[in-house]
Amino acid sequence: MSNFREDGPGYPVTEATRVDKVSPESRIFGKLRALIVVVIAVIMLIPVFVMLMTAFKARSDIVSSPPTVVFEPSLEGFVFLFTERAVVAKARQEEFKAAAETGELSLVDRVAFEAGQQVTGPSDYVDRLKNSFIIAGLSTIFSVGLGLFAAYAFSRFDVLGKDDLLFFILSTRMLPAVVVTIPLFLMFRQLSLNDTHLGMILLYTVFNLSLAVWLLKGFIDEIPIEYEEAALVDGYSRWQTFYKIVLPQAITGIAATTVFSLIFAWNEYAFALMLTSDNARTAPPSIATMLGRGGIEWSAIAAGSLGFLIPVVIIVFALRNYLLRGVTFGAVRK
Amino acid sequence: MSIDGSQAIVEQSPPPKTKRRQLSDRSIVNLFIWPALLLLIAMNVFPLFYSLYLGFTDYSAITRQQPQWVAFENFSKILNDELLWKYFATTGRFALLSVGLQTLVGFSLAMLVNHKFKGSGLLTTLILIPMMISPVVVGLFWKLMYNPTFGFFNFLIGYTQYLFIFSFIASLFGAYFIFKRYFKTKKIYLLLLSIIFVVYGILGLYSYISGSNLFGFLSRFLNPSTAPDMLASRFAGDPVPGLALWAVVIVDVWMWSPFVMLLVLSGLKAIPDYLYEAAAIDRASSWFQFWRITLPQVAPLLLIAILFRTIEAFKAFDLVMGMTGGGPGDQTELISVNLYRQAFLGQWRTGRASALAYIILVIIIAVSNLYIRYLNQMKGED
Amino acid sequence: MAEIELRQVEKKFGELHAVKPLDLTINNGEFIVLLGPSGCGKTTTLRMISGLETVTGGTILLDGKNITWLHPSERDIAFVFQLYALYPHLSVRQNIAFPLQAEGESRDLINKRVDEVVEVLQIQHLLKARPGKLSGGDQQRVALARALVRRPAAFLMDEPLGALDADFRESMRAEIKRLHIDQNATSVYVTHDQVEAMALGDRIVVMSEAVIQQVGTPNEVYYKPANIFVANFIGSPGMNLVQGVYSDGAVKMPGMDNRYEVPEDWENTLKQSLDDSDGLIVGFRPESAAVAQDGNLVGNVYAVDMHGAYSMLHINMNEHDIVHIRADRMVNYSIGEDIRFNVDPQMVRFFNPASELAITRREVE
Repeated sequence: MSNFREDGPGYPVTEATRVDKVSPESRIFGKLRALIVVVIAVIMLIPVFVMLMTAFKARSDIVSSPPTVVFEPSLEGFVFLFTERAVVAKARQEEFKAAAETGELSLVDRVAFEAGQQVTGPSDYVDRLKNSFIIAGLSTIFSVGLGLFAAYAFSRFDVLGKDDLLFFILSTRMLPAVVVTIPLFLMFRQLSLNDTHLGMILLYTVFNLSLAVWLLKGFIDEIPIEYEEAALVDGYSRWQTFYKIVLPQAITGIAATTVFSLIFAWNEYAFALMLTSDNARTAPPSIATMLGRGGIEWSAIAAGSLGFLIPVVIIVFALRNYLLRGVTFGAVRK
Repeated sequence: MSIDGSQAIVEQSPPPKTKRRQLSDRSIVNLFIWPALLLLIAMNVFPLFYSLYLGFTDYSAITRQQPQWVAFENFSKILNDELLWKYFATTGRFALLSVGLQTLVGFSLAMLVNHKFKGSGLLTTLILIPMMISPVVVGLFWKLMYNPTFGFFNFLIGYTQYLFIFSFIASLFGAYFIFKRYFKTKKIYLLLLSIIFVVYGILGLYSYISGSNLFGFLSRFLNPSTAPDMLASRFAGDPVPGLALWAVVIVDVWMWSPFVMLLVLSGLKAIPDYLYEAAAIDRASSWFQFWRITLPQVAPLLLIAILFRTIEAFKAFDLVMGMTGGGPGDQTELISVNLYRQAFLGQWRTGRASALAYIILVIIIAVSNLYIRYLNQMKGED
Repeated sequence: MAEIELRQVEKKFGELHAVKPLDLTINNGEFIVLLGPSGCGKTTTLRMISGLETVTGGTILLDGKNITWLHPSERDIAFVFQLYALYPHLSVRQNIAFPLQAEGESRDLINKRVDEVVEVLQIQHLLKARPGKLSGGDQQRVALARALVRRPAAFLMDEPLGALDADFRESMRAEIKRLHIDQNATSVYVTHDQVEAMALGDRIVVMSEAVIQQVGTPNEVYYKPANIFVANFIGSPGMNLVQGVYSDGAVKMPGMDNRYEVPEDWENTLKQSLDDSDGLIVGFRPESAAVAQDGNLVGNVYAVDMHGAYSMLHINMNEHDIVHIRADRMVNYSIGEDIRFNVDPQMVRFFNPASELAITRREVE
């Protein structure tokens, strides 16, 4: 554009760019690019929005055709998720209606009544959620704990067969869950670990150990060894060095590893599906089978999924600097 | 530090504890590693050997009978089973399509996001959310979305026709403004541009009004009986084999393209600016810059992404179970799903399933061996 | 071959004024050095000339043609980067040939030019290698070759020797100057190393804090610094600057009863540009002073650096001022001894402490 080449962009440029990047064509491309990214981001997030909406929809809104975008929000999904209900007998409907109007019914009961049902008690899901907390939480603590020690050893010492060992630790993660579960199922049965919290905690600990070791080793590798060497010269024992010098510096790495392990354990489905049935069943397998009066209870599933998703989102945001490292097992550090 | 051993005050030196109960390095190493290793061996190694043994038996976990040795019968049955080869093929196709598309989308996204603009940091974080959701939950959700009667998938595609219509109208307005500018500056390209916009606008509106191909096609999506039922592999009632697999592929791509994007992006950011500056001074074409500067620098990371995702694609289980359970029929029966079915459903053919599991294990260990070797090589270069 | 003219060229990054409006004319065939400490604006100025940085205001002319808004490739310049910027996936030969290929020259011409340039830089043995495998010095040679091959109107070099080992730097320095002379080029060279600048430049542009402090030949800049900054920056060690009070034809310096008699021809100038009570800074280079038994100035030996051919005495004149004097290697000076010296009146430079500018006789006339 001869205009630009003679007169420039027509405003004083106060950023660090090359001359060709402030030409009108370049700026149009830049705007176009930003637009495309926004569009793609919106498209990517639509399913998440759908899930959000569905969690707050009443049943009728969910199964309407075409699907509704504007609707009256309802807490039906959450109530269905957390409670067991029974249909209100015709005879008692008047009674309930009166109670609803005078404000005697709790919020939960009122919502249930709007769907023609009454609450009879907490649903299985509450137990499942508890199980998820216990199993994911404890296994994460153990796997990060054990992993921390192993990672330190691998990082600072020449262990015999180190590369092979590390490979071995990682390779178990590469297999489909089913492959490992078939013999494990039998083993658990022998040891009466089937469908127990202990069994699942052990399994998840091992499951996350590989991730923990690899990530933590990467973090510890980054701590300059000079600090420990100086401490050793000063008379600290190896254990004290580990405890007083390496640990404090590795805190962020440990935090990141803990969170990634938590996420994987929290989201885990396959093992839970195959090795638990009732007592130790966690949330993911049970969300999949929410059956209600009329078939799949979508709002409950959405509500459950949302509850599952929100802590993860918060954590992802907090950990965004470590995200790349976490999902590639420490191979790539941004 | 004092030389003569006198009681000098040295500020930072910690008081050393008594040397009595210090553990040697050797024992520290053992203490640190063995607990983890033991656990791993008990829960990983031992089961694998057990599984190997089971592969040679006809054991079924729900019967009371002891496992009977049948030597290679399981293995030969598997290798001769056509159905099984079909499932391997399905899994392979899934992996190929999924990884291929993820790579393309992820790479393009990375190239687009690489230039800073307002809020690009936030956007990238948001795009990462799909990756972090439990795959079975994702599968369930998309099951809802794919529903032909009340799902959003068809609905949204159908509604893009209005986007098109909007763009036709917008282009007519745009043509008007561009023409005004042409009048002011008399630049030929502006005139041409405005003509193009006008043509686009008019043609588009005409095609909508006359209901011709593109819009007719898109409108179909809004009516359940003429729309596709992705998970049943049907379009307007007619079977379209393989559609369900595509449905699963789409979801997998949706979940994991951001992962590829992240990796490629970190590679792109590592390319020093001065290479591009030298290219600018030398009048290098964009193609040259991409092929000779950008691509070689991101290739290692891209490779890691591809390897990683390929291994994960062969593991895929949660997503499929949530969405299709292997159906319709066996169109989305991936190998791990089938393995599950054989071992834990129906007849509980534990022995045979173990044999299959072993075959899968060997293949995957071979591939992941390559992957980890490559990872180590990359780390060694840092 | 080209004349480069900068008219009121300035650059701001947001609110930060990286280069304040400056005017500079670079003559045809000249080797000009932009010299200054980090952050002074020299690299930014160079990049604006090349097009790698936009100007916030002002105009840049090459042989009279306004190039301010032209694409970097349209400016007929070559740029040598500090970190070489060689294309990693091309061989050395391909790297060098590249600029010509990009312009669509004929294969014969390309081969001919590449061979010429390779001959000049003596890198025939490297042609098939990839840049990543070469040493820093070799990589820089290849970068120079790539710059040469286009026969541009001007060579712009951004601290090209900065990343090399010290011993290499000296030999490469000579090579670069040789190239410039042989090619009859116009070169603009950026560095923070004043030794390099003094060795290479036909003229030196001393910059600090986004402003040109002085433009002059190495001699001018060394013996006639325009202000205190230049006096300090040029030379190692920098110029000795002692502040005293001027009255009655002499400067009284603090400590040890030091009185410097101002040469007669200066008295008028100084009287006119200063009030009697004003302070005055006397500047002189280490080699412009000599130890003398009957010297006018006195101080106390603080340290002695032996430099092979000469010694550098650090002399404590008072609490603030340590001056450096070059002395004969053969004489032993002991630390703590009092010593007297004289300053060559021809080589003295006076500065106004308030404005930090040098006082020149022209100022008054």
